[in-house]
Amino acid sequence: MIPEAVPRVLDHQPSRMRRPRRRGLPIWTSAPVIVGSLVLLGLLLASLFAPLPHDPVRPDALSVLRPPSWDHIFGTDRDGLDVFSRTIASASRDVPLALGGALVSLLIGAPIGLLVSFPTRLADWVMRALDLFQAFPLVILAVALVTLTGNDLQNVVIAIIIINAPRMIRLVRTEALVLRSRRFVEAAHAIGASRSRVLFRHILPNVTEIMIAQTALAAAQAIVVVAALSFLGVGVSPPDPTWGLMIQSGSQQISTGQWWVVLFPGLAVVVAVSAFNAIGRGLQEAQR
Amino acid sequence: MTSVDGLREQVAAAPPQTSGQQARTPRSRWALRLIVRRLLILPPSLFILVTLSFGLIELIPGNPAVAIAGSGATHAEVQRISTQLGLDRPLAERYLDYLGDTVRGDLGKSYFSGQSVATELRHRMPATLELIVLGLALASGIGLGLGTLMAYRARGFAARLSNWLTSVLQSAPDFLLGLLLIYLVFFKLGWVPSPVGQLGLADESVAPKTGFMLVDTLLAGRAGLFASHVQHLVLPVVTLGLVYGAFMARLTESLLSKALRAPQVEFARACGLRERDVLRYAVLDVRGALLTYVAILFGTLIGGASILDRLFSWQGAGAWALDGILKLDAPVIQGFILAAGALTILAYLACDVASTLLDPRVRDDR
Repeated sequence: MIPEAVPRVLDHQPSRMRRPRRRGLPIWTSAPVIVGSLVLLGLLLASLFAPLPHDPVRPDALSVLRPPSWDHIFGTDRDGLDVFSRTIASASRDVPLALGGALVSLLIGAPIGLLVSFPTRLADWVMRALDLFQAFPLVILAVALVTLTGNDLQNVVIAIIIINAPRMIRLVRTEALVLRSRRFVEAAHAIGASRSRVLFRHILPNVTEIMIAQTALAAAQAIVVVAALSFLGVGVSPPDPTWGLMIQSGSQQISTGQWWVVLFPGLAVVVAVSAFNAIGRGLQEAQR
Repeated sequence: MTSVDGLREQVAAAPPQTSGQQARTPRSRWALRLIVRRLLILPPSLFILVTLSFGLIELIPGNPAVAIAGSGATHAEVQRISTQLGLDRPLAERYLDYLGDTVRGDLGKSYFSGQSVATELRHRMPATLELIVLGLALASGIGLGLGTLMAYRARGFAARLSNWLTSVLQSAPDFLLGLLLIYLVFFKLGWVPSPVGQLGLADESVAPKTGFMLVDTLLAGRAGLFASHVQHLVLPVVTLGLVYGAFMARLTESLLSKALRAPQVEFARACGLRERDVLRYAVLDVRGALLTYVAILFGTLIGGASILDRLFSWQGAGAWALDGILKLDAPVIQGFILAAGALTILAYLACDVASTLLDPRVRDDR
């Protein structure tokens, strides 16, 4: 299901030694980053404040499965709910959840990644455990945990963390390993700086940008995770809309030709994922 | 062992023990030794896997007896079900029992259907594997083709088109793509039969021998059923192929464009090799990393194909495990985690051995 549940092989490769950046525009001013952020912000604001043409949770029994028209520009679903209003309203659940999950993965993964970049026995064990963890069917595990901890949308965050935190640990570790052989780190050790001072004052500032880029990419994938889980009925409480739930409700009519119930929330997922990806890739590019 | 990095680290970290002496051992014996050494890791890994799959279900809050009895059940009823399932016995005792049963191949019975988990897995895993293997084969073909195109003719129109195409495909969940394909290919074009499973509703199935429907229908000599199964395979396999082909293409592109800038490519050109051969050598250079990625995808998909299972009413292990999870059917969850984990470990192992054998830099060193 989740394409990027696949560890991105490339993400684990240490980035090249960076030149000190020229003074000038900060990295977030690259075009993809701005466009991506604006799209997401627009979606979120629209879902929170914009007046919707129809109530996203009140069905209209008289217009069931209507194709797109002037009144219902994205059509209606099998319960007579307006697809357009629901697609917009879903953003207020899907986007913050994905972003929250990605940020918590960062908060958990980054410190662990930094700590295991020192060759201690504990670090060895942590890496072994991660390798083994990867042999588990993470998706199934995530669904199991969300179901067992109470079928609540907030708990979907757990699933996102399970999938993303290990990747964050690996990434931060690989980057920190590269930095550890740099002169300034050696120098810090040489003048007697403590291990934690080296980690948090010298290495951490040099991996933050990579971490932020990775968080954006993780959020992109988290959108897909949230959609997939709510497609399966995990963590949703109908009729509150999420994109995955909407796609699920449309999936039963797709082989009889009512395409609009699936297509529009699906496009919303693609747009949100692309926006997060644009931010992540834009930040990565800017670091080169 | 799970990422390209990990693999390289491992390969690099393997001590070059007494290389002078081993350099003379024949290649076949060296390969055998490698495989045996890797196989020795297998038992401890599997043991840890069994322990974890037992422990995870135990640690998770929520009493399965309560879930089975339903919300309206009295305390006595819950007690009775607990005793029946053996949940009231001490943890260590149950763990030892579980270990013993697992070693004997008994994975317990589903709390709800009473079916033996091992039997269900034996019937359903082949269907899942059929889907994944074919899907990954298609994905590798698509990925290698598009990736090579994007790396080799980076500025061409076709390369830019496929660049755009792969980024859209990467942003779409696989179930969305599956649904859109059902609409287009089944409803609009009518090229494939309706997505109701591995065979049509009217087809009577054959007795499973291997469990792989492609093989079973052929063994039974039922050409019609075989054709019907192939038609039902098309949509899910194409869905998997497109989604993961996009990921493969991206990876191929970034690895290959690096390989094409390497000095040996320049040297090959300077020697006057045909462009075709130059490209072939560059592709050979990256095949190890691609192989690793395929193994990783395989592991992910054993659990991850469960949504597609459900979408196409495929009688695979994934959909069955999902149902088990939603009902808190512990033996089913444990059995599936165990089977999927073991298959994943085996896939990594096979990939590890294969890429080591394929890589002359490692192979001839010893």
